[in-house]
Amino acid sequence: MSSALHPGTAGPASWLRRWRQRLWRAAPVDRAPVVLRHRRVYILPTRRGLALMATLATMLVTSMNYALALGHALTFLVTGLVAAGLLQTWRNLAGLAVSPLAAGEGFAGSEIAFTLSLANAGAARYGIVVAPRDGPEVTVDLAAGATRPVQVGVLAPRRGRVALGRITLSTDFPLGLWRGWAYVHFPLAGIAYPAPESPPPPLPTGIDGSDALRRARAADAELAGLRDYHPGDAQNRIAWKAVARGAGWYTKQFEGAGGGGTLALFWSDLPPGLDGEARLARLCAWILAAERETRTFSLQLPGSDLPPGSGAIHRRAALTALALFAPERGS
Amino acid sequence: MMFAPAPAAPLSRTHLAWLAALVLVAQLPLWVHLPLWIAATGSGLTAARLLLPAERLAPARLRRILLPVMAIAVAIGIRLQFGYFLARDPCVAYLYVLVGIKYLEAKSPREGGLLVCLALFLTLTQFFYNQSIVAAAITLPAVLVLGGALAALRATPGAATGWRAPLLATARMLVQGIPLAFLLFIVFPRLAGPLWGSPMASGARSGLSDTMAPGMISELSLSDAVAFRVDFNGPPPPPTLRYWRGPVLARFNGIEWRALPRAREGTFASQGQPTIEYTVTLEPNNRPWLFALEQATSLPVPVVEQDLSSTASPRPLARLTYDRQLLASVPVAQSTRYVQRSALGDRFAAAGEFDARDNLQLPRSNSRTVAFARELRARAASDRAFIASVLGWFHDEAFVYTLAPPPLSGDVVDDFLFDTRRGFCEHYASAFVLLLRAAGIPARVVTGYQGGEINPTGNYMIVRDSDAHAWAEALLDGVWQRFDPTAAVAPSRIERGLGAALPQGEPVPYLARLDMTWLKNLRLHWDAVNYQWQRGVVGFNVQRQQDVWRDLGLEEARPWQVMAGVAAIVLAWGLALLGLIHLRHGRLEPAQASWMRLGRRLARAGLPRGLHEGPLAYAQRATMRWPQWSELLWRIGENYAQLRYGPHDARHRERLDALREGVASLPDARALRATSSR
Repeated sequence: MSSALHPGTAGPASWLRRWRQRLWRAAPVDRAPVVLRHRRVYILPTRRGLALMATLATMLVTSMNYALALGHALTFLVTGLVAAGLLQTWRNLAGLAVSPLAAGEGFAGSEIAFTLSLANAGAARYGIVVAPRDGPEVTVDLAAGATRPVQVGVLAPRRGRVALGRITLSTDFPLGLWRGWAYVHFPLAGIAYPAPESPPPPLPTGIDGSDALRRARAADAELAGLRDYHPGDAQNRIAWKAVARGAGWYTKQFEGAGGGGTLALFWSDLPPGLDGEARLARLCAWILAAERETRTFSLQLPGSDLPPGSGAIHRRAALTALALFAPERGS
Repeated sequence: MMFAPAPAAPLSRTHLAWLAALVLVAQLPLWVHLPLWIAATGSGLTAARLLLPAERLAPARLRRILLPVMAIAVAIGIRLQFGYFLARDPCVAYLYVLVGIKYLEAKSPREGGLLVCLALFLTLTQFFYNQSIVAAAITLPAVLVLGGALAALRATPGAATGWRAPLLATARMLVQGIPLAFLLFIVFPRLAGPLWGSPMASGARSGLSDTMAPGMISELSLSDAVAFRVDFNGPPPPPTLRYWRGPVLARFNGIEWRALPRAREGTFASQGQPTIEYTVTLEPNNRPWLFALEQATSLPVPVVEQDLSSTASPRPLARLTYDRQLLASVPVAQSTRYVQRSALGDRFAAAGEFDARDNLQLPRSNSRTVAFARELRARAASDRAFIASVLGWFHDEAFVYTLAPPPLSGDVVDDFLFDTRRGFCEHYASAFVLLLRAAGIPARVVTGYQGGEINPTGNYMIVRDSDAHAWAEALLDGVWQRFDPTAAVAPSRIERGLGAALPQGEPVPYLARLDMTWLKNLRLHWDAVNYQWQRGVVGFNVQRQQDVWRDLGLEEARPWQVMAGVAAIVLAWGLALLGLIHLRHGRLEPAQASWMRLGRRLARAGLPRGLHEGPLAYAQRATMRWPQWSELLWRIGENYAQLRYGPHDARHRERLDALREGVASLPDARALRATSSR
């Protein structure tokens, strides 16, 4: 990914690469904050701008032929308007500072949300379009001196790391005759988990092997006791009554080791007929189901092992392991 | 994979309102120049779409058929109205209606953009007919609305934008663009002639023509239109000597006078007489004559600033014919300014033998007039005595000078001289020349303008179409001499103008009347403003552009040098404007400015501020680098933190001063670098 810049190398190839990077920002090597200056801001007329310029050219030729002094004046007045519009379009973009704020997570096939921060030190800006390469664009206005976050979604076609990619900031304010744009390419990546299998298959039996016991727990779970709350504990296990009484934050613990039995989600236990991605999809669905049912689970993949646990942090660790699983390395 | 932009939303009410405003302000100035049904159709279509929802007008399928049918029907109508189609006026009329039709069917913002372009071009077309100050003034709103419509089309649909904000923004951009527009107006090369066709081919002609029949000049005299304006170098000549020579007519067919077909070159006879010099600003009339006071002693040369360094005199605009007309090679299609010299006199030497031969032709008709002339000549001792007796006869008999003579029939001169005896200058000139020719004296009709009004505002002379006149010339002893039979009938016409000469109740054009009411005064002031407008703006042509070059000392400049200069100025304009925008919006509050100055100085000295770093953290880092300035640096940091993040209290001023003082007393970047402890 970061094959971008090798400052050591010299010669025409490196020169070419440097210029290509400068023009297209193909490599994700921008460092926050990026302030859009004349080197980054490009401006070309829009289709409407070209049509209006063609009209102006026709008007000019007409004025010349018929010796219309006021025709010249009108043509040049509108030319002045178009030129001032060019500068206003440029001003609307130049000086904007862009920084990455957060990279999101999601499932393959959905959009991964990225958050950028747009800081405007100058006068108000209008109609700034923030467009990722693979995702819908977002249009924002910025008041004078305002800083605001902007969330863009990038479609994740498959599991793994999802680079934000090159962002195009553009605007055709105020007259729509010029489009100014700038590329920003941060080395920012989110994570796409495998898409869970659908419909979700039934959960495998726990370590104790007793499906009946698990059902009993699900039906009338017996509260074994409370322990101190740790960040990341599932919401539905928080002792809300205690919280409401003002007694402090506790997490409910259910009877049985890990509450209803720890699920063993083992790669090796899956049917041999399943291929790698299908296994990941099933494991993903199971993790989500286990989380829904507030059960502890452990995850074992070739090359990585996650001890039993529960809660948001545990879930995320498990899903991330699935997302980044590389079968070549494994068994 | 690229995300295609969302399918364009249909035009909203706001879009439609802006576009309607644009179309109407583009159409409105053309109303007076177009046939009524075209004007009404074009604007009616616009109003129909604006007032009625599109669905109510007609279902979509019907509209798809209806609109092309309408376009074709209008094209046929225009062809019938004008008698031709591929010319300027019908095309303007068609564009006018087409803009209305386009507005009726416009659905997407893209079509809206096309409509904006069409409307802009339509705005230009009014200048074919009228380039007055008023025309210029009513174009400004159109440009404002153009900007507003563009802004509305650009904005995301549903965004609440009123009328005011886009108009104000456009006005601001217009003001920013005006220097550029002015520069382009001055430097953009003008053409001396048209690129194609004859620009005024279908335009109206006005003023005098090369034929004269009873009624033609009197019709002209009803017009207040300005024929030309004159600036005199020195006092203007007295009214009785203001004979502006125009077309000379020597062939008579019994009803109508015509010019001789071939115009030989003429020479200026006597150069020794005292001459007066003046500058004529001729309104475009699509005729080849340039006007000069009798008798011209120079060719008209285009107006240039007096410049001793240029030895080559500019090329004259016209040549002199043997009968002393100033003929341009092409019709005067644009406002033309020329310097002219004349020796005021009523006679000049004949050009040659042919003068006598060409000017004795008689029609076969009008035998009573011919017989009367021969009888009168027989009684007179000499040609001069005969002419005197003819003029005396006009004066003594009951001839009436009137703009509304009774219609003549048959032999028109006989009818006029012996029956009706009521006529305008063309009747008298025509009859007079015929009488002289019948008596064997070569004579011809001269048309032109007689008189002119001094405008006290601006001190120049206005000659109007109502000053059009016809007089006569007779060849006596090898010299052409001017005789004005109208003067024998109505001397006040020559001395005081048309208004004084005509009897009460005649339809004298308003500005030819004598009473100087305040309204007429106002009109004269307005004319003075218009004159300046004509000279400075509308008349800005190749000549005037060269004047500007000469004034700037750039006449030797190569085109590429001019281009480079223009490019430099445009660049300077852009930078200046961006600088202005930056100054207006980018001004920091004083505390921040001082703090930024400190940051820049320390950065140059090798300690740039991290973006995450607050004032206190940065100050602390600086004190570690420059312990000797630690107290000062701390004070700066603390004061700035208080100013920026603390409450705005009574100590604000004091802190600000301390901050400024602190930054000012810190040594400069080089000294800091030298004393850095690292």
